[in-house]
Amino acid sequence: MSGYKQIFKDKLQSGQMWLQYCLDCQRFVYYPRERCPYCWQDRLDWQPVSGLGTVHSYTIVRVSALPEFHPPYIYALVDLTEGVRMAANIEECSLDRIQVGMPVHLKIINREDNAALPIFIPV
Amino acid sequence: MTRGEAVISGISELVPALDAGGRGTLDLLAEAAALVIQDAGLTKSDIDGLLVTPPSEDSYFLWPSQVAEYLQLDPVFMNMVELGGASAAASVARAKLIVEAGLCRHCLCLSGGVWDSQVFNTRANKMAVMSQAEIDYELPYGPMGFNSGYALIARRHMAEYGTTPQQLAKIAVDQRTNALANPLALFNQQALTVDDVLASRVIVDPLHLLEIVRPCSGAAAVVVSCADLDCAWPHPPIPIPGFGEAYTHNSIPYAPHLTHSPIRMAAQRAYQMAGCNPGDIDLVSLYDCYTITVLISLEDAGFCPKGEGGRFVADTDLTYKGDLPCNTHGGQLSCGQASFAGGMSHVVEAVRQLRGEAGSRQVRKNRLALVNGNGGVMSTQSCLVLGRK
Repeated sequence: MSGYKQIFKDKLQSGQMWLQYCLDCQRFVYYPRERCPYCWQDRLDWQPVSGLGTVHSYTIVRVSALPEFHPPYIYALVDLTEGVRMAANIEECSLDRIQVGMPVHLKIINREDNAALPIFIPV
Repeated sequence: MTRGEAVISGISELVPALDAGGRGTLDLLAEAAALVIQDAGLTKSDIDGLLVTPPSEDSYFLWPSQVAEYLQLDPVFMNMVELGGASAAASVARAKLIVEAGLCRHCLCLSGGVWDSQVFNTRANKMAVMSQAEIDYELPYGPMGFNSGYALIARRHMAEYGTTPQQLAKIAVDQRTNALANPLALFNQQALTVDDVLASRVIVDPLHLLEIVRPCSGAAAVVVSCADLDCAWPHPPIPIPGFGEAYTHNSIPYAPHLTHSPIRMAAQRAYQMAGCNPGDIDLVSLYDCYTITVLISLEDAGFCPKGEGGRFVADTDLTYKGDLPCNTHGGQLSCGQASFAGGMSHVVEAVRQLRGEAGSRQVRKNRLALVNGNGGVMSTQSCLVLGRK
């Protein structure tokens, strides 16, 4: 596995989400890469994130072809305060409560395969 | 070598089918090729260029060579155009460039394939059509492929602009009215109402089953020729006065904007090349994988201000009888989407309308058409302006 993927996973496994930060253009980068996609330089540092974000959009999946997922569940795009957008599930949230713009907080969980996974819950 | 204006000289389209009856993608493409040279009044030996969209079940490896070998063509130029649902429109744009550069006289653009209903329905098959970034950072959350991507866009549009499910459903209703007048359409038996659409099963909220494209098997083809050649032209040749493209992202989390699509730039570039504006366009063929795709395309191609697409589609008759005929063949929502990239049917239908050969669904004003091909999750955009001599 690429070094950057391993670092991202190891940090999650230890209970934190760290993202790459480009020292040249001073922006956070998601998803992890070897090189900054904005300035194409390779001086990427790692920094922990605040874990705060808002729901940019969401969908409630009613029909899923993947047997390990049990509809209905919330599949969302979350804007982190660090300026990156990521796909994630929103959990611990009733389906009639979810809305665009809702503040959420990072939670790291373990699914069946035991890999640590960042998801979000309502603040 | 003749260098002159490129025109669409021939079109063909097979009847879309839910079951290909054991035929393969190459079999379908060959039938479309045989039909299109007949329509163009050409023989096989006239074809010296080949552009193909990707296969569905065959290997991608040297795909243009596989197609050329089956058809026993020896083109001077060939390529595969892989831009998802924009591939077909982009093929026509590339054919124009090749013909106008004097490289080819008659360029065959082929698109189609066999639909395998399991293609998105197992983890392995899902992964086969995902980028590594999607596998690593989206698949763990249970995305439903393109369905969930477009649902995220629809939800955001509703939150930003107050767009309603009823307004989105109207698009499917008008396109069904068009399909009722198209003998080729997969769904041409029964009219739809807004209530019918909203009563269909919610697949990924807010999208209902009848707002989602129906993949099928089929093929369509276009020949782009040099207008200066001494040919019989059995049908009026259709010029391609403009095209424009725009590309911003692959997967939806990394789109610059959910509700503003790269169609805006693609359409602007196409209008600029053609020297026209949205007010000059008589009919539109807009890639319709979902109802929300059509709504955003209408906004971004300049037919209404951003955010007013919901009101616009509710107040505008989008049928072949209306003021802005849209997807007069029924679109992919009612006609079916042949394999991965059904966009060639949008090109073929616009040409039928501009030729005046659309039968009972012929539009009244048919001087200028806008065609859009959209791939990925509003990711790849290719617009064509098609006109008349």
